[in-house]
Amino acid sequence: MAISKDTLKAMIRDFHGFELSDSEMDLIAPELDAYLSELEKLRALDLSKVMSSRLIKADEGGQADG
Amino acid sequence: MANQDLLKMTISEIAPMIRSGEVSPVELTEAALAQADRLQPTLNSFITILRDQAMDQAKKQEAAIVRGEFLGPLQGIPIGIKDNIATGGIRTTVGTKVLSDNVPDEDAEVVRRCKEAGAIILGKENLEEFAAGATSNNPHYGPVHNPWGLDHIPGGSSGGGGANVASGVTFASLGTDLGGSVRLPATFCGVVGLKQTYGRVSQRGLLVTSFNGDHIGPMTRSVSDSALVLQALAGYDPLDPSTVPVPVPDYSAALGRNLQGMKMGIPSNYFFELVDSEVEAAVRLAIEALQELGVETREVSLPSMEYSGALRFASMSDSVVTHEPYIQSNREDYGPDTLYRTLAGQFVLGRDYSKSLKVQRIIQEEHARVLQEVDFLVTPTAPVPAPRIDAKYITLDGEEHRVRGPGSGIISRFTSPENATGLPAITVPCGFSEMGLPIGVQFIGRAFDESTLFRVAQGYEAVSPSRGHWPTLAD
Repeated sequence: MAISKDTLKAMIRDFHGFELSDSEMDLIAPELDAYLSELEKLRALDLSKVMSSRLIKADEGGQADG
Repeated sequence: MANQDLLKMTISEIAPMIRSGEVSPVELTEAALAQADRLQPTLNSFITILRDQAMDQAKKQEAAIVRGEFLGPLQGIPIGIKDNIATGGIRTTVGTKVLSDNVPDEDAEVVRRCKEAGAIILGKENLEEFAAGATSNNPHYGPVHNPWGLDHIPGGSSGGGGANVASGVTFASLGTDLGGSVRLPATFCGVVGLKQTYGRVSQRGLLVTSFNGDHIGPMTRSVSDSALVLQALAGYDPLDPSTVPVPVPDYSAALGRNLQGMKMGIPSNYFFELVDSEVEAAVRLAIEALQELGVETREVSLPSMEYSGALRFASMSDSVVTHEPYIQSNREDYGPDTLYRTLAGQFVLGRDYSKSLKVQRIIQEEHARVLQEVDFLVTPTAPVPAPRIDAKYITLDGEEHRVRGPGSGIISRFTSPENATGLPAITVPCGFSEMGLPIGVQFIGRAFDESTLFRVAQGYEAVSPSRGHWPTLAD
């Protein structure tokens, strides 16, 4: 795990998270590893100009306009 | 006609027989309940079978038909409801011990619409705990088994529904799809599964779900049945702000038209990577079949899919917030797969949540651009045929990938992106593996244009090598 257990424990303590024992931290590790791996891929991607709109619009004919 | 023959019909075939009085809703429901009783010890597809309620509903519908009160093609049709969709006065467990005694006060909007259409609800169907996975290997209510191979998963999280539709128990089942949970069990069980456009169907009454990207959709035995069920479900719900007030077309009207001159997009990246060779071969044959039906082929590129793994940041955060009160009160009642996958979400940074939403946006824009050039996209639905129930990993391209619990996600690799785009996607059976397990092809369309998907899917269904095949235990 790239984030140390000490860091995770500090986050739980300071942000009022759910307590995890050392063995439970091992159980969540694959999910955190996947998170960090995907995060690494984003390093080269500039997201600063991406619009925030979420809704898909549709016209009266039921066709998409994006 | 023998009961087993009736139970293998489609809604489109049997609805006119019900309306004419040739088939009795009471007798059909009795036959479906008998099939459910016979197969429940084998498939474990239900959490609750609603024998008395189903028979009461069937008698009411039969009386209505005798009086000439026709409600449409779902009248008198036995269906199943996933057990994370609220049913008023009926236990709705969401597949977890945490909610084992949960009895909602009122029906979900989709349940209300099904009842209004005269459908008969046979029972509440088994699923992954909290619908949070793709195996339907439930730690509290037992695993659902795939009717095509009992040692294999039916897919998830709506596995009970997939197994029931495939084995002649229900004519349709309502599932929920946050990352492929309708399309994956449909694929693994060899039936049709639809995730319509986000906003087309009300989610009101869908319990313990994500804030973003969940859909209630049908699993059926045919594309035309999928159109009939969506017709009953679709429409604006003023009490669900996620629904969109757009007109609902007559979905069946688009069926039967030829596909000549349509354009399909074949992604040149992502969707044909990390895929089992048998699955890829079956989907490539489906593409050839569509070409023979007159569909033109374009290779299309979706380069931002490289970053689609970032979509999970938002779902991780969302999940831990959704589960917060239940983990606080009933942590010991959780199964480990759901609990530890969920708890990892508490470490996702707000910065990364925001990045996830922006990646979602660029993937949406890219799909929208590509779908200006073609009418629909073709991809595999799942990267592999159904894994074994006891499998913890699958191997693709020489690497092991987790099937369940923390770090999993390989099975929903081709389905979950469309939960982020909100675009409609349908899976149709397209053959079998050497082991006899079903394989599915996924068609992805433009927003609110399910009609085109139905047209394409039905055109392909008519020539699919899966046509007419049933698992032996259905007899």
